[in-house]
Amino acid sequence: MTWLNKNRNPLITALIILIALVLAFSGKSPQTTSSIILSGVTLAALYFLVASGVSLIFGLMDVLNFAHGSLFMFGAYAGWTFYTNPRLLFNTAPILLAVLAGLALSPILARFVALPRWARWLAVLFGIAMAIFALRDFPIDKLVAMGMSMTGKIIPTAEAQEPIATMLLRIGGMFIAGAVASAATATRSAERLEAPMSRTLGIVGGLVALALITLFVRDLGEQAILGTESNWRFLLALGVGAGTGAALGALMEWGLIRPLYARPIYQILLTLGLTFVFDQVVRFVWGPAGAFMEIPQWFNTSSQDCPSDNLLLWFSQHCDSIFVMGRPFPSYRLFIILVGAIMVLGIALLLQRTRFGMIIRAGVQDSEMVEALGINVRRVFTLVFAIGAGLAGLGGVVAAPFLGVYPGMAMEFLLQAFIVVVIGGLGSIPGAVVGALLVGLARAYGDHIVLAGIQLPWMTDAISGSPAIARASTVLIMAIVLFLKPTGIFGKKE
Amino acid sequence: MSNILELHSIHTFIGQFHILEGVSLSVAEGSITALLGRNGAGKTTTLKSIIGLRPPREGAVRFGGADIRGRRPYDIAALGIGYVPENRAVFRALTVEENLRIAERKKDDLAKRGDLIFGLFPDLKKFIKLSAGQLSGGQQQMLAIARSLVPENRLLLIDEPSEGLAPILIEQLMESIRSLSAHTTILLVEQNFRMASQLADYYYLIDDGKSVQNGAMKDLVNDRATVQRYLGAS
Repeated sequence: MTWLNKNRNPLITALIILIALVLAFSGKSPQTTSSIILSGVTLAALYFLVASGVSLIFGLMDVLNFAHGSLFMFGAYAGWTFYTNPRLLFNTAPILLAVLAGLALSPILARFVALPRWARWLAVLFGIAMAIFALRDFPIDKLVAMGMSMTGKIIPTAEAQEPIATMLLRIGGMFIAGAVASAATATRSAERLEAPMSRTLGIVGGLVALALITLFVRDLGEQAILGTESNWRFLLALGVGAGTGAALGALMEWGLIRPLYARPIYQILLTLGLTFVFDQVVRFVWGPAGAFMEIPQWFNTSSQDCPSDNLLLWFSQHCDSIFVMGRPFPSYRLFIILVGAIMVLGIALLLQRTRFGMIIRAGVQDSEMVEALGINVRRVFTLVFAIGAGLAGLGGVVAAPFLGVYPGMAMEFLLQAFIVVVIGGLGSIPGAVVGALLVGLARAYGDHIVLAGIQLPWMTDAISGSPAIARASTVLIMAIVLFLKPTGIFGKKE
Repeated sequence: MSNILELHSIHTFIGQFHILEGVSLSVAEGSITALLGRNGAGKTTTLKSIIGLRPPREGAVRFGGADIRGRRPYDIAALGIGYVPENRAVFRALTVEENLRIAERKKDDLAKRGDLIFGLFPDLKKFIKLSAGQLSGGQQQMLAIARSLVPENRLLLIDEPSEGLAPILIEQLMESIRSLSAHTTILLVEQNFRMASQLADYYYLIDDGKSVQNGAMKDLVNDRATVQRYLGAS
């Protein structure tokens, strides 16, 4: 009851928009309405996975992470690559891990090395040169081509994959490049100097070991992954996407965002700049074209019984679609909705039922006070950043069989996620849910209008719509909400 | 009696503003020590310098004999310092119970200290499931102090507890702080000189970010000229 009272205004706003939606659907048949709603909720689930992270991160750290769409995209590419072309991962991961190991040396280097300003620049240049040298003639195109030609002819291992010895040289070179870069940027901040030597060495050693292990098991690993039954491989790919997103997010927070908490404008510029960098990285590695990921068998079998409105039959046959009000609806999209719903529930439980969630909710109001109680808030920041980025990465892989993977997905989903959080109220998870639903439904309704055209009562023929309507509708909703409630539906007054 | 906390000429900057230009003080174990000074003298900044939210650039901060200057606030707090900021910074979105639980450093802190805390502030027990934002100003202040009592802290830094409270509540608050001092040492920042003079054993006077004078509270009470000059109140 108190919850209802406290959230009276947001609920009224949501109600008004809901009524508007009902009116919009009033002329449609129940079949059309239900299929538009299901499509809308599908999109909403994906938007939520990106927007919830943006909202959590802003709520706790006041960081507007413009790179969140890129984390979504990297998750998608990582999961897809794992699914179709693990060889690419096994041959690039060791190199990336080696750079990280070099960079992780910085607390030790900060103790012994203090370069003058001009030498720092030289060191940076040397590090870059070293990295370029170490990566010279790396056969990335052949490795990528492996995945593209999955169904067709497969490039022989000897051509696509370099010998272990060459890879070891590259790994060594990248480790040195990372170490030089960390020496160039090493500062004698108290935090760095305090980090115990053993822990730093442990991290560096662990990363190096991981790089070497990945390299040495690359053939076995590839066979194991490709030999896994495709449905399970897909579930593993979800984990890989989420993990890639989380790791990338944690790294971003630790290395790039953390030094800039005192300068919020720089954070915005930095994360915005990162989106362009990530965009180019994806285009460089995987090419500008994009690709489709196959829908796992669990949701994609066609038999004579499919599609069926017998739920048991539908489930046991793994039908590719299900009849909803007499119209077939793709089963995989129901899976997307399921994942979205589970994550809404998961985040709610995390925030309301755990100590960690309690710390987040307190930190949203006053993170300094939380720290003064004896809680390491920075670690909480990094973890929350990782969780938000992991959700985006998961969303990317979930979206891949539905929308495919392509370089533009980062910007598209970033934009929609920002509209969602602005509508729902920055920093509010219920807001992200409501916002995602509104934007998803508007988008689906817009798509329907584009196909069916608009026919008002006094018109004899429908006028056809343009795809711009679907995109414009979400911005229109944002404008209306901002007009009624400038902080967003669930936003608190600042 | 030994000193649990010692500041040796600390200098603290906020941005490029030199806020503290050499503040020194020591707090005897088991005492209530009042930090006095007019508005903007640097009292709040001094407390924040101790807990590490505004780390001093120069000088030494010794707590229990160890130099803690430059350590992170969570690290300093974990040594046994409780901080009660001004304006009753309780977590409004959390329930009263969560506000207490979040301060736990061990799982059973609240269970162990519950009797002490709810004995001092019986209201909190009544409203334990209410969200802190729904409490009155006085109750929020009680909660902020109660929160600092959840772990066994050896020193409490209390900033302006009486601010914005009705006189009758101030009386109640003074009672609570007095009974608190049986359990812990307190460094109290207080504008209300009458309250501070009745509670504190010792005082430190700072003005314009510098230590000016210190001694036993009962001597200051009789020194009307100093009180008038530095605090503008009698």
